[in-house]
Amino acid sequence: MSAASAPRTMLSGLLPLLGKRVASALLTLLLVSAVIFTVSGLLPGDAAQETLGQSATPEQVAALRHEIGLDRPALARYADWLAGMVRGDPGTSMVANMPVREIIAQRLPNSLMLAGFTALISVPLALAIGIASAVNRGGKLDRALNIMTLSMVAVPEFLVATLGVLVFSVKLLWLPSIALVSDTSTWGELIRSSTLPVLTLTVVVTAQMARMTRAAVADQLDRPYVEMAQLKGVRFSRVVLAHVMPNALGPIVNAVALSLSYLMGGAIIVETIFSFPGLASLMVNAVTSRDMPLLQACAMIFCTAYLLLVLTADVVAIMANPRLRAQ
Amino acid sequence: MSLAPFSRRSLIGAGLAGAGLLALPGCARVQAPARKGGGIRVATQSASTADTLDPAKGALSTDYVRHFMLYSGLTETGADMIARPSLAERVESADRVTWSFTLRRGVRFHDGAELTSADVVWSLLRHKDPALGSKMATIAAQFAEVRADGKYGVILRLTGANADLPAILSQSHFLIVRDGDKAPAGNGTGPFRLAQFQPGVRTVATRNPEYWVPGRPHLDRIELIAIADEVSRVNALLAGDIQLANAIDPSSTRRVEAVPGHAVLATPSALYTNLILRQDQLPTGNPDFVQAIKHLIDRKLVKRALFRDFATIGNDQPIPPFHPYFNPDVPQTVLDLDKARWHLKRAGLTGVRLPLYASPAATGSVDMASILQEYGARVGLNLAVNRMPADGYWSTHWMRHAATFGNTNPRPTADLVFSLFYKSDAAWNESGWKNPRFDKLLVEARGEPDEPRRKALYGEMQRLVHDQCGSVIPVFISLIDGYDRRLKGLRAVPLGGMMGYRFAEHVWWDEG
Amino acid sequence: MSRWGGTLRALLRSGPLSGRIGLALVLFWFAAAVAGPWLAPHPVGAFVDRDVFGPMSARFWLGSDYLGRDVLSRLLWGARYTVLLALGAALLAGSCGTALALTAAVRGGWIDEALARAMDTLISIPSKIFALVLVAAFGSSLPLLLLISSVIYIPGNFRIARALATNLVGMDFVAVARARGEGAVHIALREVLPNMVQPLLADMGLRFVFIVLLLSGLSFLGLGVQPPYADLGSLVRENISGLTEGAPAIIMPALAIATLTVGANLLIDALGAGKGRR
Repeated sequence: MSAASAPRTMLSGLLPLLGKRVASALLTLLLVSAVIFTVSGLLPGDAAQETLGQSATPEQVAALRHEIGLDRPALARYADWLAGMVRGDPGTSMVANMPVREIIAQRLPNSLMLAGFTALISVPLALAIGIASAVNRGGKLDRALNIMTLSMVAVPEFLVATLGVLVFSVKLLWLPSIALVSDTSTWGELIRSSTLPVLTLTVVVTAQMARMTRAAVADQLDRPYVEMAQLKGVRFSRVVLAHVMPNALGPIVNAVALSLSYLMGGAIIVETIFSFPGLASLMVNAVTSRDMPLLQACAMIFCTAYLLLVLTADVVAIMANPRLRAQ
Repeated sequence: MSLAPFSRRSLIGAGLAGAGLLALPGCARVQAPARKGGGIRVATQSASTADTLDPAKGALSTDYVRHFMLYSGLTETGADMIARPSLAERVESADRVTWSFTLRRGVRFHDGAELTSADVVWSLLRHKDPALGSKMATIAAQFAEVRADGKYGVILRLTGANADLPAILSQSHFLIVRDGDKAPAGNGTGPFRLAQFQPGVRTVATRNPEYWVPGRPHLDRIELIAIADEVSRVNALLAGDIQLANAIDPSSTRRVEAVPGHAVLATPSALYTNLILRQDQLPTGNPDFVQAIKHLIDRKLVKRALFRDFATIGNDQPIPPFHPYFNPDVPQTVLDLDKARWHLKRAGLTGVRLPLYASPAATGSVDMASILQEYGARVGLNLAVNRMPADGYWSTHWMRHAATFGNTNPRPTADLVFSLFYKSDAAWNESGWKNPRFDKLLVEARGEPDEPRRKALYGEMQRLVHDQCGSVIPVFISLIDGYDRRLKGLRAVPLGGMMGYRFAEHVWWDEG
Repeated sequence: MSRWGGTLRALLRSGPLSGRIGLALVLFWFAAAVAGPWLAPHPVGAFVDRDVFGPMSARFWLGSDYLGRDVLSRLLWGARYTVLLALGAALLAGSCGTALALTAAVRGGWIDEALARAMDTLISIPSKIFALVLVAAFGSSLPLLLLISSVIYIPGNFRIARALATNLVGMDFVAVARARGEGAVHIALREVLPNMVQPLLADMGLRFVFIVLLLSGLSFLGLGVQPPYADLGSLVRENISGLTEGAPAIIMPALAIATLTVGANLLIDALGAGKGRR
């Protein structure tokens, strides 16, 4: 491995990859918006009816439809929305009478914080569990950790959350039962009120990542080069860190990326139980109020987050793996 | 609640005109004087990006609570269901068609402007603009003319006589906003001022030191949030994160009471979930089939199992026993499998298959449908429960199939609930029931000045609905609030949970 | 398939204890799913207990639920819905995902690219919200639930199957078959597919577990099986207010989900370990 040439080849290898990825990401975003548009078109009622409710007169519905542009053909509305997106403008909410950008700006930081905190805890935890059980595979620790991760996923998410609240909020009065996030919260309050949501999500995502880590590391540990290195007198911990991990990293970061993408859109149950003002509940809200621009904006964010995570995973995998790097 | 007839005249006359100034009747015998200061956090069950500061557009309990904090109305309905003058000092009418309101002087909006007749005229007339999207547009259609009569007088002429106008105007939708304000943003004459508003997330309001009712409000600050999940709402209350919550499930009441320092407040109300049998379709349009279903409802089981006795047995008509106009002479329908079987046989419908459309959107309907299905099987009726998602239920399923469940909130007057849901040409005539006699009685009662006579008219309407209409009302559901015991002054108002959504100016915080 | 059966036999003879426990649990729940309704002592929707959240008793072995219905009977029916739905959805997702993956790997080119984009699209829409929209649009029904839960897991299966298939397509015996002039269908079904069955079955087992959990998540959002029936997740959800009193009505279905998923996982692990070193 020559230190001087490595970055250059890496870069020249990565750039075309990035270019191709950006192109296909844009295509995916377009497809997602088309799917959302089509599927939501099947929903009964529209934003005008949902906003005005049962008591609406036909004149009121017509007036509101005209005001928010629902009286125009569906395809024209979609084209308008697309044109807006190309300019970087996600439009105006049909229900809240606010720019979509503003609504998103209130919620996105919350969702990112929730996902970020959870990732900060769950990823190192999962790696530690995975590596520890792979190194001890077949041993007592492995079995104990295996049982632990299995039971973590065996309890429905909403039950984990409710149990957490019952124990830590209602019984012990240690933590707030709802996430009271507001602009005026201090960091201390933020951390306190998001502890339970973060812990719940950690329970949900850690197991899968840990099990994938264990599988990937164990797969490498079983290969001849590990035995060779040990025979040569290289310390085991060094073998694991310097040789096994770089090779195992590909599948691990892939699993991590998939799990983390769940933390944005998949957090709907946690957001509901803790009244957490995040993007997933905003998207559900957009569905029930038939607020198309808001719904599309949420879908675009979730899709982008997923694509970014997968891309990051691929880049990390390439950079970590000497063989892939050379290609 | 007293069944003694109350006279609308005495309300209109000067005798009770000052009543709005006094504390509500129940408050007079409250033990300790209200303390000043403190803040609470309150959670309702629903919030969305559609949350609004415009009273005319209020759609959810969170909206009503918010609006009553920020704005005041011309009239106010108390725990006794009697409407009293509020911003209007006097409400007068000789013929119940033309009404004159005399406004209280010196009342100021939060921005400092004085309340005048122009504000009232604007606030009432805006409901008639379809572009506004008022929830009361159909009711405001009765306003033939609204005009100022000097700086502090307003004349409102109706299209027909309506003795209930003061009660109608006490609803949150008719709260008074500033003249010319097209998109009200919290500038009202209410007990609290808006400090922060994030649709779907929270509302923060602080005490209005210049509120026009002396001595109120008591609290310095109220934070209003929504927790949609009932279990979470109860947990938040018990964990001390909120001090007041509405829509507590009957099955959670034991839990709330078991934790020291917490209590529930049950408000018997006219809220009901009903099974709607379309009269213009078969088999539900067959009178014998309707009778069979009415005899198949185990009302006691519904009351006990679904609502843990936080309910009042219903009799297939919308006026609850505790209402002043309730007619006790209508015989109570009870579970009677033999009668049900007999009616089915007579209708030739034994063994018929019928899907029941229920949804979490209509409280308790899914479980009610399950109970009905169970008893139906015993008399040879093949009922299938179709649980529909709450999303879209009202627009796609409610009233659209032969048998669906509906859910009707308490209305301030008997006239409103009958006019909206039972009149032949009503948009929400849920069962499609057409009865000319009923329609005639309804219009007659609306303008009837003589109270006993009015009660008799409503009594006959109840009998007609009970005997013939395709609306099956098993029980009236009590509204349950949960609260921290340090929160004082909370009382039941049958119009809705949380004192008919108007707790804000009445309650106080007492650490001791 | 015979190899799979062989692994099972090997597991029974000499496999790890955990694998045998897993097999026992899975078999138990499959038996409950098949025979449960005949064993249920009470009708699933009958209100048999005046009390709610009743304790375990001789009459109600697992107590009564929030409406006074028999928990054991509801649990037996619930197991049927959960197990059969999850099994059906896993099979459907597995076969669709694999078929698409084979097409992508064998045909390559723009078809491969198009399928990859389609899968990315599917996977990047949050699954529960997607389910919410579909149920709101079409109404809740068993076929729709089955379809939704399989569609949600197709991309995951596609990913793995495609990786396996691409690997195999590059191998010599496929090149030989191509040289023989065999068609794409023959290559996909006869040459490639047989060599990827085992890892795919293991993957399907994992999907089964995911779908059981997804169904319980959906039931939280009110998108479960139609009443009076309920899947295991809905049973937990509808009785959640009994959690503080430790009612068997909530503990039992939660235990059922746990034993079913843990059992399936243990079984898959044991079968996977049987593969040994490559």
